[in-house]
Amino acid sequence: MPRVVRAASVGWDGSLSRGSGVVNAMSSGTFELPIDLPSRIAEKAGKTSPEELLAAAHAGCYATSLAGEIARAGGTVERLDVMCTVTLDEVEGKGHLIVSSELDVQARAEGIDEAGLERAARSADEGCTFSALIRASARVDVRATLES
Amino acid sequence: MAAERRATVTWNGDLMSGSGTIDEVGSGAFGPLDVSWAARAEESSGGKTSPEELIAAAHASCFAMALSHGLAQGGNTPQRLQTSAAVTFVPGTGITKVALSVRGTVPGLDAAGFQAAAEDARQNCPVSQALAAVPEITLDASLDS
Repeated sequence: MPRVVRAASVGWDGSLSRGSGVVNAMSSGTFELPIDLPSRIAEKAGKTSPEELLAAAHAGCYATSLAGEIARAGGTVERLDVMCTVTLDEVEGKGHLIVSSELDVQARAEGIDEAGLERAARSADEGCTFSALIRASARVDVRATLES
Repeated sequence: MAAERRATVTWNGDLMSGSGTIDEVGSGAFGPLDVSWAARAEESSGGKTSPEELIAAAHASCFAMALSHGLAQGGNTPQRLQTSAAVTFVPGTGITKVALSVRGTVPGLDAAGFQAAAEDARQNCPVSQALAAVPEITLDASLDS
């Protein structure tokens, strides 16, 4: 099995509350994005945050996993729309924690019915690397519907 | 107060020959970005991002923020922190390792103090806690004098 490494870097200047940083996609070079604390916990102000990057990661991971599961169930994927919402919350006695990741999926696929999609959506959740990891500390919910 | 952050992805076709796009994110800060299985599972990214690179970006960011906070609380506000995260993905197995590294410029702090603060951030930043099931999260911390 190949071992694949993907890396990103951040340059951060100053304190948490007043400082700011830039996050850089080292492996692909596809993004270089400003980050700061207010954008993470209050107004987004057009800046990304660790939780938004995780939402993008989870949506991407789940989409690839579901595409595989639908094919395995004998269906043909035309299009999957996956929306992921990651929630950071303050938990008493534990500080800030990522408490949930919710996936909303709309699938356009041939050769699979609602029940089949339901099963594929569950298997995709079990098979998605990120779902498996984050479930150790956060709730993962998946809602999948079939577009006719 | 809970902060929700959102992203949407579209995937067309099957896993191996299909491809997807991270269409947009709630902040509007990036997207669209292309993703594909090949870009994820082969040694070269082919100029496309992947869930693992995004996890690396999330972890490097979270770690930098937690460390800047810890240092400032200890009375040593950092001038600059340069962090990185390298995520190892083994197709069929999953994410097996995250290697965090940091170089810091922190006036008034010695190497041992920096090491302790970095170790605390490695263990306790929200993304580290969310990824606690990863078998190995390593840390390499060094202080610029």
